[in-house]
Amino acid sequence: MPSDVVLVIGGGPAGLEAARGVADLGARVVLVEERDRLGGTPVFEQYAALTHGFQDAEEVMDRMVRAVVGHPGVEVRLRSKVVSCEGQVGRFRVGVQRLEDGAPATVEAGAIIVATGFQHFDPGRETQVYGYYEYPDVITLADAEAMLKAKRFVRPSTGLPPERVCFIQCVGSRDRQIGNEYCSKVCCGIASKQAIEIRQQVPQCKVYIFYIDMRMYGYWENEIYWPAQEQYKVNYIKGIATEIIRKGDKLLVRGEDTTLGRPLEVPMDVVILSVGMEPSKGTREVAKVLGLKQNKYGFIEVPHEGVDPVATSVPGIFVAGAAAGPKDLDDTLSMAGAAAMKAVAALRRAAAAGAAG
Amino acid sequence: MDTDRTTGQRVFRRDPDLPTPEDIRERVLALEEAGEWIVQRVPQPYREVPTKYGWPKKVPLQHTWHHKSCGQCGHIPGYSTAIFWLHRKLGLDYDDPRDQTSCTGWNYYASATSNAAAQAAVAARNFAAAYATGYFPLIHCGTSYGHYKEVREELVKHGELRRQVREILAKLGKPLVMPEEIVHYSEWVYAVREEIAARRVYDCSEVVVTVHPACHYYKLVQGDAIYDPDIYGGQRTAVVTAVAKALGAQVRDYSTWFDCCGFGFRHILVQRDFTRSFAVSRKIETMIEEAKPDVVLTHDTGCVTTLDKSQFAAQVHKKKVGVPVMSEAQFAALAMGAHPYRVCQLHWHAADYRPLLEKMGIDWRERWREFEEDLERIQRGEKEYLTWEDVDAEVPARHFLPVS
Repeated sequence: MPSDVVLVIGGGPAGLEAARGVADLGARVVLVEERDRLGGTPVFEQYAALTHGFQDAEEVMDRMVRAVVGHPGVEVRLRSKVVSCEGQVGRFRVGVQRLEDGAPATVEAGAIIVATGFQHFDPGRETQVYGYYEYPDVITLADAEAMLKAKRFVRPSTGLPPERVCFIQCVGSRDRQIGNEYCSKVCCGIASKQAIEIRQQVPQCKVYIFYIDMRMYGYWENEIYWPAQEQYKVNYIKGIATEIIRKGDKLLVRGEDTTLGRPLEVPMDVVILSVGMEPSKGTREVAKVLGLKQNKYGFIEVPHEGVDPVATSVPGIFVAGAAAGPKDLDDTLSMAGAAAMKAVAALRRAAAAGAAG
Repeated sequence: MDTDRTTGQRVFRRDPDLPTPEDIRERVLALEEAGEWIVQRVPQPYREVPTKYGWPKKVPLQHTWHHKSCGQCGHIPGYSTAIFWLHRKLGLDYDDPRDQTSCTGWNYYASATSNAAAQAAVAARNFAAAYATGYFPLIHCGTSYGHYKEVREELVKHGELRRQVREILAKLGKPLVMPEEIVHYSEWVYAVREEIAARRVYDCSEVVVTVHPACHYYKLVQGDAIYDPDIYGGQRTAVVTAVAKALGAQVRDYSTWFDCCGFGFRHILVQRDFTRSFAVSRKIETMIEEAKPDVVLTHDTGCVTTLDKSQFAAQVHKKKVGVPVMSEAQFAALAMGAHPYRVCQLHWHAADYRPLLEKMGIDWRERWREFEEDLERIQRGEKEYLTWEDVDAEVPARHFLPVS
């Protein structure tokens, strides 16, 4: 008898939306999450406002979590991880281990949705000299996000409000030298959003963004990019920052202003590295356990991304969100909906085949 | 990203599962399997050292073929002598060949004439010469090291270039050989730093050091350069600094550490005054202002020459200069008791090194007297030139135990 359960792996935005979607369609869900609470990266990295629409990230995630936790069709297993998998569509037998005591369990599922997400690029691997591990005032988008959420954007070294802040784009993205040739899609939007938030919270602070080219998808152009410049006076400088050094109590950003065609050297109080996305450890581990093909970057490979954006190399296993590559929240939730629909369809086909057989 | 619980500082930990750039060494070995060339293996014993992307790199301890540097031999001969002296005192076998040519670094970086096949053939001829001796290339010059790594990549990626170079070598009766690793001498010094430190006879604890990492060492083809988690948290190259620290010296930071020394290859040829100004105002003066070093240590020919000799003209303009500059090999040799004139040949250096020697407890007056006696012996015709016999017996033998 085929199982009527969809196993959802990962309790971030993609996993939550997929679980809610599957349950709303009438199937049962087992949602496995390695952490001790749901919400994923937006919660654990303390995101402030969502880039699209400037909604409070915590409020949005809270709504998504409540929609799942209160749903009678969803069983949530926190502090658990997937350790084995056998079988096929309609009849997967998945080993799930409880992290606290190592207690094993088996989940019989007709379909699986992988929603294990991404992790931020670690600037320690960067080939440019940005000094993230040397200077406390060099921070990442995620570090800045946490300060903005706390409404206390300061120089970490002094605890005082900064006078000059800059963003450096494409850190760990579009970089052939380190092997991440892809664009992470969201960093331009997030940097512009954060630039606006910094100007709102610290109005006297000057904010600069050093970029290769700004990639403002869809409505971000009018929602973020132009207001950042016209309303909030954020300075966009087309140029490549190559190194950050400490000069007295300031950071000195060096690089090239490619519009003016000359070297630049500007003092800053805080430098924010716009770090891109990489597959999370969970994505890489789950891909191995489930036997899913990964692309050269470690993301889960989608064989026909243009026409079937949630399929994987294994029938009956689907992927949603940034486990399949860099995605913004809009794409993530759209994928989660599509994955839920495909997973439930897979259950029903398996059940129909079982009844006929 | 982790945080050190004691210091609160961020700590970089490499995730070995994340993708890294292509490791060209794998293609070097694949081309050997395809019959395209011979790969000369790193001889035993070797040490594995960590590199930029976390790949281990084999550094041979001995049986090394020393690819010397034009600029060292011409301007700062104590540099290469110190490297040889360290080998001798550590009991490590090496070959100082007479059939090595210059690399084509000057040609490649400066005048940009000639062509890819000619430049690669010069590198390949030196590799073949090393292979013929059974000794493994150890490259003294940072520029040759960087250039050869670029040549390796060109040869790996272009079959037509390999064919052209093979034809040139065939005319010389030599095979096309690529070393398993391309190794800079400073990587060897890094690898044996603990043995050097164990044989230190002078106290370095009061010596303040600033380090200039050489651009051609770690900015050209970054994947081969040594990065050690224990030095600068693995975020800057570890060579030189690790040696100074092992010797117990105080390494101090300065803001322009990332800058070129001023040499710039093209600049030294076409804008020599710019080179000198840069070396003084962006490097030496900044070091003095921010770190007050007793000595500047670096690991490349052009860097030692530029940082040291640019101070000479600056003194006339009453600039705040006067810091000795030398290689870490010379500094290590001094700490191990090498003669400052017979071995390290500091009399070739422009900035005043004597305050440093006094701080280390080295009696430079007595050493200079000995050296003048050497010169008188040569003048009297008793000797044609100094040999290893003149320097080998300077330090008590108990300090020189073979490396196990």
